[in-house]
Amino acid sequence: MKRAVTKSTLLWLLVLLIALLIPVVVENKFYMHTLILILFYAAVSGSWNILAGYAGQLSLGHAIFFGLGAYTSTLLFMNGGVSPWIGMCAALALCMLVGACIGYPCFRLKGPFFTLATLAFSEVIRLVASFWKELTNGAVGLNIPFQAGFSNLMFRGKEPYYYIALGVLCLVIAVTYWIDRSKMGAYLIAIRENEEAADALGIPITRYKLYAVLISSGLAGITGVFYAQYILFIEPEAMFNVNFSVQVALISIIGGMGTVAGPVLGAVLMIPLNELLRSAFSGLNGLNFFLYGIVLILVVSFIPNGILPTLRGWLSKKRANRHSQLTQAIPGTQKGGGQVDSAN
Amino acid sequence: MILQIDQVVKQFGGIAAVNGVSFKVGKQEIVGIIGPNGAGKTTLFNLISGALPVTSGSIRFKGEEITNQKAHLICQKGIGRTFQVVKPFGNISVLENVKIGAFNRIQKSREATEYAEYVLEKVALIHRRDSVAKSLTIADKKRLEVAKALATQPELLLLDEVMAGLNPGEIHEIIPLIGSLAKDGLTLVIIEHIMEVIMQLSQRIVVIHHGEKIAEGSPTEVTSNPKVIEAYLGEAVSFA
Repeated sequence: MKRAVTKSTLLWLLVLLIALLIPVVVENKFYMHTLILILFYAAVSGSWNILAGYAGQLSLGHAIFFGLGAYTSTLLFMNGGVSPWIGMCAALALCMLVGACIGYPCFRLKGPFFTLATLAFSEVIRLVASFWKELTNGAVGLNIPFQAGFSNLMFRGKEPYYYIALGVLCLVIAVTYWIDRSKMGAYLIAIRENEEAADALGIPITRYKLYAVLISSGLAGITGVFYAQYILFIEPEAMFNVNFSVQVALISIIGGMGTVAGPVLGAVLMIPLNELLRSAFSGLNGLNFFLYGIVLILVVSFIPNGILPTLRGWLSKKRANRHSQLTQAIPGTQKGGGQVDSAN
Repeated sequence: MILQIDQVVKQFGGIAAVNGVSFKVGKQEIVGIIGPNGAGKTTLFNLISGALPVTSGSIRFKGEEITNQKAHLICQKGIGRTFQVVKPFGNISVLENVKIGAFNRIQKSREATEYAEYVLEKVALIHRRDSVAKSLTIADKKRLEVAKALATQPELLLLDEVMAGLNPGEIHEIIPLIGSLAKDGLTLVIIEHIMEVIMQLSQRIVVIHHGEKIAEGSPTEVTSNPKVIEAYLGEAVSFA
């Protein structure tokens, strides 16, 4: 048990080291852009994973928090000259507040009805952002004036953005890892699996769902702030887009919901695929979505739990097979762990 | 008295599923609840555990009023329950299932794991600790139900038909387990259909029929009570 923990920690450190070294090797701007997108999508999907993967509340409205974060820091910066670093705190607070306000009444709804409610809220907020021209400049969007500097969170090259996105992703992973290992994670999973049984085991369901939505919306909001500083142009159609919410959900679903690494794996696979298809079929508009859809159908029909849990199940089965072969070959070697076999 | 139930009524629309039931359970007692199908036994459990609100009447646990409190608060106070239709957390391991129960009293993850392992050993399910809960046999799922409830460290445990659907061999394996729980100082209230089991285990039996208590007493008293015989077998028919 103890050794397994250090093994996974080593793997995480190795991946982090590779991630840190990538900008040294990669110089192509398109590749860097794709890498930065992977990190941002992995971070938003990771925040979605806390609410949907762990607590089982399938939201299709995570664009709300992502967009709200982006708009909050941008408006504060453009109208009041507030540094995005401080804007981030405001975005965090606002996103958590909105998350709680949407979550609290909607948690009474079960399954698809909760999902539909989040979808509806997302559309309402998109419309408000489009028509409240005095505040958001409406559908025209906001152009963030470029003033390079650390306090403005704007840089000339792509490398600083890469490291910032990596930092955000590390934050999301750290929070998810902590949840996964603690009482909180166990309680969220219990709620996902069976609310009635969770209730009977002393779990305050609404409170834990609220914790999940607060953490999830806050992290999505922070990611939105940094994304806005990278793209430097935000508009309601792009920030509060339902397609974005769906894509964020699909990344986790494909990678493996309710696992720490699932969203990262999903983003690493799906974002390059999406970019590749888009550039390969630039003449045939929409064909990339068609192929993307086919990949999705394949994943959902053959590995419905997502790639990571399927891989894990396959590995443990292989290990169990090897173990039983070993014990069969050498009958005297059953020690400790072999109790199960001898009991059968 | 650890549990006092006083004139409890539960109405679903116009139907009184539980109609003015009163009884008491003493500390470390094993009380059986029997009655024909649809008598209101499981509804009574749902009222005690807070899964359903009562229409009227009062329920007290260790002298404290717990009527209509939320289920998770009642569990935290020390009443554990199992479900007649088992409700495992299907997609996670047996150990993780029990660990969730252990978190009721334990904050630290490692200590919760240790306690969960201790409980699994007690219910003889430790050899399946890493199996996914939904892959268990029905007998093992029933054991898992007991383990989850036990892990919350209750003082009073409500067992709702933990033997239903098991074969005679499995039943004979689980009876000593329930007996050992009582020896550990737990108070048990058991719903069971299998007469042989309930006669063996309980010190006192409450009989419910059509939502009303029709008899209470030792197993022998209850089985010789004409009202009980009538409830189970129907009225005596006299041939002219």
